[in-house]
Amino acid sequence: MSRKENKKYFEILELSADASTLEIKSSYLRLRKLYSTDSIAISPIADEFSEKSRREILRQIDEAYAKLMVMLKDEQRKSKYHHKSLDSGKVSKREEKEEELKFSGQVLRQIRKKMGIHLYEVALDTKIRIELLNEIELEKFNSLPHEAYLRGHISNYAKYLSLDSEKVADDYMERYCAWKGGDKEEPE
Amino acid sequence: MIDEKEGKIWAIGGGKGGTGKTFITSSIGTYLAKNRRRVVLIDVDIGGANLHSFLGINRPKKSLTNFFDMGTPLKNLAVKTGIGNLSLISGDIHSLSSDSIKFTQKLKLFRHIMKLNRQYVIIDLGGGSHNNTIDTFLIADKMIAVVEPEIIAVENMYHFIKNALFRKLRMSLKEYGFKEIIDHMWERREKYRIKNLRELIDCLKDSFSYIGDILDNEISDFTIYLILNKIRSSQDIFIGSSLKSILLKYLGINAKFVGYIEYDDSIWRSVRERRPFMLNYSLSRSAKEIEAFTENLIQGKELKLMRS
Repeated sequence: MSRKENKKYFEILELSADASTLEIKSSYLRLRKLYSTDSIAISPIADEFSEKSRREILRQIDEAYAKLMVMLKDEQRKSKYHHKSLDSGKVSKREEKEEELKFSGQVLRQIRKKMGIHLYEVALDTKIRIELLNEIELEKFNSLPHEAYLRGHISNYAKYLSLDSEKVADDYMERYCAWKGGDKEEPE
Repeated sequence: MIDEKEGKIWAIGGGKGGTGKTFITSSIGTYLAKNRRRVVLIDVDIGGANLHSFLGINRPKKSLTNFFDMGTPLKNLAVKTGIGNLSLISGDIHSLSSDSIKFTQKLKLFRHIMKLNRQYVIIDLGGGSHNNTIDTFLIADKMIAVVEPEIIAVENMYHFIKNALFRKLRMSLKEYGFKEIIDHMWERREKYRIKNLRELIDCLKDSFSYIGDILDNEISDFTIYLILNKIRSSQDIFIGSSLKSILLKYLGINAKFVGYIEYDDSIWRSVRERRPFMLNYSLSRSAKEIEAFTENLIQGKELKLMRS
């Protein structure tokens, strides 16, 4: 399915058909939050917003997101194939970038901010302490918990941001281990 | 960026009183004037025309009453504000509130507003959803709604915009000679199982394809610019983008969320001191927020949602 054929799903997420992966994810999270909570923005239409219609809207949003994620995977695969066989320049640069991207605390912070999500929202939904989340983003490695726990936290946080949790955790732990290996000069 | 020839009319409304429309009108006006645009502010606030006090001047002796009762040309009613490039046409309690203003008078006012020789004409509508208020809103090139994160304000704003859209659609259908159809269907909405404006529009489109094109055109031209005032947390900003989503989903309206102002005691102090906020507190966070959304309004851009 091409982007054109997926127009309907882009519309449900209030996006144009050239939206980036990040835009799709952030729009999805935002709309899901709007229709699943009792935001005061809902109050003007409260009389036509029954439980049934709430469920239907959320179903549509989930469906649109799932379809678009499949489409993106498709695009990625195609662009890889193009890369190998034709060395075509017609690959989506955005997708490429995302794949090459190495995740770090700073990158996670940037992604979160781009999505317009506040740290305490992450804390509330993932049950990870806000101080810890902040330390993860700032890579204050010496205040972070033991590796085994840390990996779980990173992975949960990545899932919350709809990122590939395996890759995020791998990248992050790589940085952590590099620090640990050479931490002799740590002052504390 | 600015088109020097073409005049631009911005109207600031939003339904509920007390959300900060007059403050925002005066601040946008001051900012534009400070940046060398020639601006006239028109106060048509029903509840009490007090735009002058936000600019730190006394109530002008002449007002829109002179225009309605004595036929004084609108341009002769503009008084200086003490801020270069910025003048004010004062309203008063009679201006647009009463039904005594005849339809022809209203049209004459609109004609005069459009002929004002300024780069920017900014109209402070005040609260309420009176038909005269809505019609004034509709003549603007940019329709700006101010809302605060609070249930009554949000509901009033939604109904204000809904009424504005309904009047707009009715007016354009009237031009094509189809006004009776929309009234007819709305009056018999139970029979047609129409619950709201969106269903009315859908029903009209289904029944008459030629009307569908007219309505689609009007609706796609109908853009609302949202300003969120008095926010108290970064969570509140989310309400701006939520309202945009609700307006799109339930009315089919494109809204642009251009910016917000944080709740700020210095605004209250500035109003009490009767001095223009943008001059008095030009370095404050709120002043920067106002500058940011005014720039967005000029360029028709939305707020970039980047939170810290």
